[in-house]
Amino acid sequence: MGKIKIRKLDKNVQRVAENLCNEMLDSLEKAQRPILQATKCSLDNSIYRPSKGYLVPGDKKVTTELNVSSVQKLSRTVFLLDIMLNNLKVGTVNSTRELYYMSKGLTKSDPKLKALAFSEQSESDSIINYITHLLEIYREEINCHAGDSGGKTFSKNLVVTETESDGTVSTVDLGAIGTVPFQPQNKPQQFKLKPKKGKIDFCLIVESESTVNTLVTNGFTKRNNCIIIGSKGVPSNGVRGWCKTIQDQLDVPMYFYGDLDAYTIQNIYRTLKAGSAASLIRNSDFSAPDVRFLGVLPSDVKKYDLESYDVSEKNASDARSIKKAKDALQNDPFFRDKKNKKISDVLRWLITQKVRCEQQALFAVNPKDPHTFEKIILDKIKRKDFI
Amino acid sequence: MSKITKSSTAEYFAKNLQQVGFSSPLKAVLTTLKEAVDNSLDACEEAGIAPELKVSIKKVGKGSAKNTDLIQITVEDNGPGLELSDLPQVFGEYLASSKFGRGQCSRGQQGIGISAATTWAQLTNAAGVKVMSKTKKMRKAVLATIDVDIKGNKGLVKNKSTVEWKKTHGLKVDFKIDGRIQLNGDGGLLTYLEGTTLVNPHLTLEYDLLDNDKVRVDRVSDDVPRVPPSTLPHPHTMKLGEFLTHAHLYGNLSLAQFMKKAFSRVTDNTIKDCVKNGLPKKLTNMVVKKIPEKEFKTIFQSIQNTDLANPSTKSVLTVGEEGLAKSIHRIGEVDFFSVVTRKPKICDFKPTVVEVAIARFLDKKAAAEEQSVQLLRFANRVPLQFDKSACAITRAVESINWKAYGLAQSKNSLPLGPYVFAISVTSPFIKFKNASKETIDASDDLVEELRRAMMQAGQKLSRHIKRENKAADLERKKNHIQSFGPALVECLGRIVNANEKRKQRATDGLIKILGRDSKEAEKDLKAADARLNILKDKQSAKLGQVVGKKAKEKTESEAPIKEDVAEPAKKVTAKKKVAKKKKSSAVAKKTKSSSLAKAKKKAKAKKKVSGAKKTKVKKKVVKKSTRKKTKRK
Repeated sequence: MGKIKIRKLDKNVQRVAENLCNEMLDSLEKAQRPILQATKCSLDNSIYRPSKGYLVPGDKKVTTELNVSSVQKLSRTVFLLDIMLNNLKVGTVNSTRELYYMSKGLTKSDPKLKALAFSEQSESDSIINYITHLLEIYREEINCHAGDSGGKTFSKNLVVTETESDGTVSTVDLGAIGTVPFQPQNKPQQFKLKPKKGKIDFCLIVESESTVNTLVTNGFTKRNNCIIIGSKGVPSNGVRGWCKTIQDQLDVPMYFYGDLDAYTIQNIYRTLKAGSAASLIRNSDFSAPDVRFLGVLPSDVKKYDLESYDVSEKNASDARSIKKAKDALQNDPFFRDKKNKKISDVLRWLITQKVRCEQQALFAVNPKDPHTFEKIILDKIKRKDFI
Repeated sequence: MSKITKSSTAEYFAKNLQQVGFSSPLKAVLTTLKEAVDNSLDACEEAGIAPELKVSIKKVGKGSAKNTDLIQITVEDNGPGLELSDLPQVFGEYLASSKFGRGQCSRGQQGIGISAATTWAQLTNAAGVKVMSKTKKMRKAVLATIDVDIKGNKGLVKNKSTVEWKKTHGLKVDFKIDGRIQLNGDGGLLTYLEGTTLVNPHLTLEYDLLDNDKVRVDRVSDDVPRVPPSTLPHPHTMKLGEFLTHAHLYGNLSLAQFMKKAFSRVTDNTIKDCVKNGLPKKLTNMVVKKIPEKEFKTIFQSIQNTDLANPSTKSVLTVGEEGLAKSIHRIGEVDFFSVVTRKPKICDFKPTVVEVAIARFLDKKAAAEEQSVQLLRFANRVPLQFDKSACAITRAVESINWKAYGLAQSKNSLPLGPYVFAISVTSPFIKFKNASKETIDASDDLVEELRRAMMQAGQKLSRHIKRENKAADLERKKNHIQSFGPALVECLGRIVNANEKRKQRATDGLIKILGRDSKEAEKDLKAADARLNILKDKQSAKLGQVVGKKAKEKTESEAPIKEDVAEPAKKVTAKKKVAKKKKSSAVAKKTKSSSLAKAKKKAKAKKKVSGAKKTKVKKKVVKKSTRKKTKRK
């Protein structure tokens, strides 16, 4: 039974990891400090390739030398690596949350491992990320995945065929499952997508999942030959991979619609389109560079007289977000690249105007008409009013 | 045009009592107490008497206004007392003061406060202040009620009588006012009394608040500070207009003579410097009254441009580092502290002295890690308890990066932790923001001077904190070796399927590697210890305290982590003292600190220590029952 793979990996994870541990043990035997090197996954090591459309890692490495300060991190790394390599050996898959609880049980029952206990899942998550940066592999390639989040998809013209690892093939006609959404998972899945008939007009990814639900309830998918997806805030690996699959297989125009604020542009839209600095090594398979920013655009606020409100620098969280936006314009290679000048201009506009507008403002344009939201979205797509 | 009327000063204040600290029933109680205590302390110090004050504050009924109580505030002192003829002026007349504009560092200045308290009593309880006074000359004490004649700004004496009083001299005031009582917190009565004790080491205070136990805090210094007489004005403290008026008083002298005679810090050399800075030489020998008026600006400017020595320290009164160090132990059990008394500086044209005491209290340690430090502000040795945010002192504290000294702090706010920051500003002319003297104006000069003082104190404090951090770091490192080392080898062994021998070799290697790190940490700790000991030596030589020694011995003999470094003097028992002396002499022999100067210094410090021990700190709690018994006797 072959495992479903996201990409073709030209290294044997098991062997690479064992070699690494062997070297560490050798060094210790010689009373030398083992030194580990991992890809630096941060903004200062991110390179934006306009031709590819996503962020890739630079040459910088994070070096960790064993000393009294790093011994905790390294022993925790080896501890989790041991569990994950065992999973790889026997073919078991675990979620990050499961790994956290498994480690909890092990550390409580074995006095030798007691010191390694994690007090929060964020601690074990960060060690798992470190392992992937160390081995330069995806989390999924060491049989681990995060919990599912976001990605609820609706369409009346999409058929999804999934092939499972044991060869089972199942077909889901999204138009035949009523109001039930299709949701991709946060682990490797093999999909074949095709329209039921003709060509799908567009794919709309909306920041708020509840807005997607409302649109579907109001008949958006019945009236439009489209796919609509809820990203549920910052898109998870699953959502990002799913959008890339749609982009690659369906050749359909893809639009993102969310709040007009710095957080949405920097964290949600940028991650969906070009990946993130934290996931540099997997952006190639988890980003959809063809996605366009449909709104809310600054021009929409004026054109549709949308309710917007002020961002105050006196408010700590607003001040932080303005500072981050300024920082992004200066240091984020995505926003610095001239290819993305228009979206950078929106960010600049937000900093100078100090306003924000919620995506739901469209509902309030004409409260008597339940289809206002839909009409504006379609109007914008028709007028090519996007970035 | 409507008729223009004239009102008396008393009328103005009676209508604007909020301007002088009577803006709420809560503040009224504190301000009344404050004014009475200030007057008593000033009177005692002026007469050279070590003050012994008894304060009593009780609820005696319901107040006349809604939501108020009738509060009785009694303050009794052992001062020189007042003649009957002086009582109406002192307690019933506004702006009648013996200190106004004298340029001295007394607590009271304008003669407003206590008259305002009488007015408040009169307005809220229809009766002024009851005063009992006895001077040395009197056989019996006089007892009278003083009211304020609001229309005429005069004091009125009522119910005059004479009574027996055991005291040879003293004064007792008794206010009954509408008010409310708050004991703790920034505006609390206890905070005020603690603050007053801190900056008055020579004060013995007994207080009886509400139904709480009576508390007595004995003095830790027998030196009664003499409020220094005002000195000649310093030229840099004047404005042109004042300079002109001042010059006219010395009209028949030559300019050079006038400058030397009428100002402090002006010498022949200074005058030469002034000439270099633009003072026309021909004017120096000219008689002042013959100098044309327009030339005075040039003269004035040349003086301003000339560097002069700081104003005389004699005109500024300080508590002193020793006094503060001793006094701080009266507030609670101190873990460690640092005190700084700066040299006088000109701030806003006036000589000013800033003193800082920073202490960590053991009893506050657990509760206050996440809370802001307790900030005690003082102006001329009077606690300031309201309007904290606008005060120069608060601004200065908030502007410092305390993280550099090892304290937690959010940006531009007070640092966090179980610390008390006591900061005192003393000057003959403090620039208050209002008549109630609650906030010091935050001028750039003063804030900078305050910052410097606090940074100095912070540096001393940081040595303690750094030492603690190093000790904690060492312990953490040792813990890490013990707990994570074996786990790392165990997990690596599992992955590569290593045998026990290989694991053992790796464990040995690991211990060697991490052992090197902990040795480095030990070295760091020793260095921090050494730096701290130097500071403590300096401190004990300067302050005559046992402060550093005990801790020094502890750190030398592998002190436990997070060690107390300062113990209150009262806690050192006789036996311990002997043992300590032996131990310290043994240590001295071992270390062969042969330098004569060092030995002399130590001997001097020891002498001071024994002096400090004599004035033992006592905080007696006299139970009510025992008080009754003594009364019966």
